[in-house]
Amino acid sequence: MKQLNNLITELETAAQYPSRTVQQAMEISKRPAVGCFPYYTPDEIIYAAGFLPVGLWGGQSDIMLADTYLQSFCCSMMRENVEQGMKGHYDFLSAVIIPTYCDTLKCICENWKAAVPQTILIPMVYPQNRSIQAGIDYLVAEYQRVQEELEGISGRKITEQKLTDSFLLYEEYRTLMREFTILAARYPITINAKTRQLLLKAAFFMDKKMYIQKIREICRNLENFPAESFDGKKVVVTGILAEPTGLLDILVENKIAIVADDLANSSWQFRTNSQKGNGVLEKMAYRIADQSGCSLLFEAQKTRGQLLVDLVKTTEADGVVVVMMKFCDPEEFDYPIYKKELEAANIPLLYLEIEQKMDSMEQLRTRVQSFAEMLDD
Amino acid sequence: MFLGVDIGSSSSKAVVLDEKQQIIATAVINTGTGTHGPEKAVMAALLQAKLGATEIKFTVATGYGRITYEKADKQVTEISCHGKGATFLAPQARTVIDIGGQDAKIIRIDDTGKIENFVMNDKCAAGTGRFLEVMARILDCKIGELSAFARNSTQEISISSICTVFAESEVISQLAAGAAKEDVAQGVHQSVAKRVAGLANRIGIRPDIVMTGGVALNDSMVATLSQELKQNIAVVPFPQLVGAVGAALYAAEFYRKQLVKTLL
Repeated sequence: MKQLNNLITELETAAQYPSRTVQQAMEISKRPAVGCFPYYTPDEIIYAAGFLPVGLWGGQSDIMLADTYLQSFCCSMMRENVEQGMKGHYDFLSAVIIPTYCDTLKCICENWKAAVPQTILIPMVYPQNRSIQAGIDYLVAEYQRVQEELEGISGRKITEQKLTDSFLLYEEYRTLMREFTILAARYPITINAKTRQLLLKAAFFMDKKMYIQKIREICRNLENFPAESFDGKKVVVTGILAEPTGLLDILVENKIAIVADDLANSSWQFRTNSQKGNGVLEKMAYRIADQSGCSLLFEAQKTRGQLLVDLVKTTEADGVVVVMMKFCDPEEFDYPIYKKELEAANIPLLYLEIEQKMDSMEQLRTRVQSFAEMLDD
Repeated sequence: MFLGVDIGSSSSKAVVLDEKQQIIATAVINTGTGTHGPEKAVMAALLQAKLGATEIKFTVATGYGRITYEKADKQVTEISCHGKGATFLAPQARTVIDIGGQDAKIIRIDDTGKIENFVMNDKCAAGTGRFLEVMARILDCKIGELSAFARNSTQEISISSICTVFAESEVISQLAAGAAKEDVAQGVHQSVAKRVAGLANRIGIRPDIVMTGGVALNDSMVATLSQELKQNIAVVPFPQLVGAVGAALYAAEFYRKQLVKTLL
């Protein structure tokens, strides 16, 4: 148990102190870092180019400078990223990749050039019609352009072998993480809501090789113990991210465990492996094409509701917690659709509106506690 | 005997329930969390019931100040307590609208009397009792007089700002432009009603609708909200006490469960 606890603490700390974690990872791996804005970036190419992909998913500082570009009615995660860039906290990055999934991200691409001119920007456009051949061809061309830009920064060509190795590493990560989340659901006390989310978050700041090794060790250790009996409630969480950590503390206080998620910064990252395609870049494009139930990727037949219903059934969860990122249009557009489907399936639903930095948690506490009481009744 | 204490943002309420679930004492003190209001409310209720503190078998605290109230055996949220209290006082209730000093909640009740969903306003004061308090101050009247003012309105005035601070400026501008206090008061009620109706429509409402919380004492508010929702709204007697009644009912329930556990 001691070894397991040490491993958990190590990754929790890595997630809670991203700056320190990234610096350590850069030193150990001898890789300069490239910042990756949400939601999907071609990390396989970045890694193959000899860089350390670092997830930039906001934070909890006071916004002082970013207001010039993104006012208080914009996504708090993006405001935080611009703030950090403007404060020079991202100056150590060799570049940032900003994909343009939503209106805010599209604006940031242009804002970044003026606001953070010292950090190279690699913009990226993902095709709206990602499943048709034209969409695949377009995305492959975008990947090639990003590859060339990264090669320009590093001064080295990415070999076919390096690209393949990197792709296989990320495929291994995705498979492992799905296994881990299934396993973790059997241990809702050891891997409580906060621990689970921190363990998943650590992936953004560590070298994937090292991270995979740690998660594998955690899985091996967990398997030595019998499944934990839990008298609390089990939920599926959906949204962009389950933050701030104070929210996770409230879930733990109310004996609510996360047994599965549909979060952008968690399972969206590893939900889908590559199924088909010729060559690494095409395989990567097909992986994006095959990703479903995501608010940021166009889908004529919205599958998110059914996906959530299935997750609740397979994990025997008691309900779904929606963590709605304030001012996130794509997420708000999806909500009424899946809400109706969850209600039709008689699945209890808790709606929480969140921002990354929340000074008062009392209303959230009341909502979460009421939900737990409602499920208990 | 069981005690329910509802510690709100602007008032404290206490209810004593006997073994037969009869309400034997109630108290409302117009100061809330962070004050001596909760203690005063409990003392007043005990005095009325002619009981000593030791005769209370179980106490449940609810409301904004529930976590910091140390004398409770257990704390339950105001959402659960208003749901329980409202269905006890009005068993036919399927939607409970609770507008308190600091927040508004819509609670949907299923056919067995259990809470099936709820929605709560965001942290701003729009659509809450605080909004009415601020507006009453600008209209130079007591909060209790606001309803009578609105009843005498002859002309519709719309207060379009949702934010309390902006709405304050808007009301001042209306008054400066010569609008009648009565019309502005009704505009203020409509503003709250629209906000609460928007909240209610998010989870869907079904009759019977029952209103609880201090704002339910304002009959103009009830009428305006009823108009906005196009539904009849009933008000339970002593709507301010519903949360405390729910808490007292929980106290009785928890006590019995505890007793069964010790006997087994």
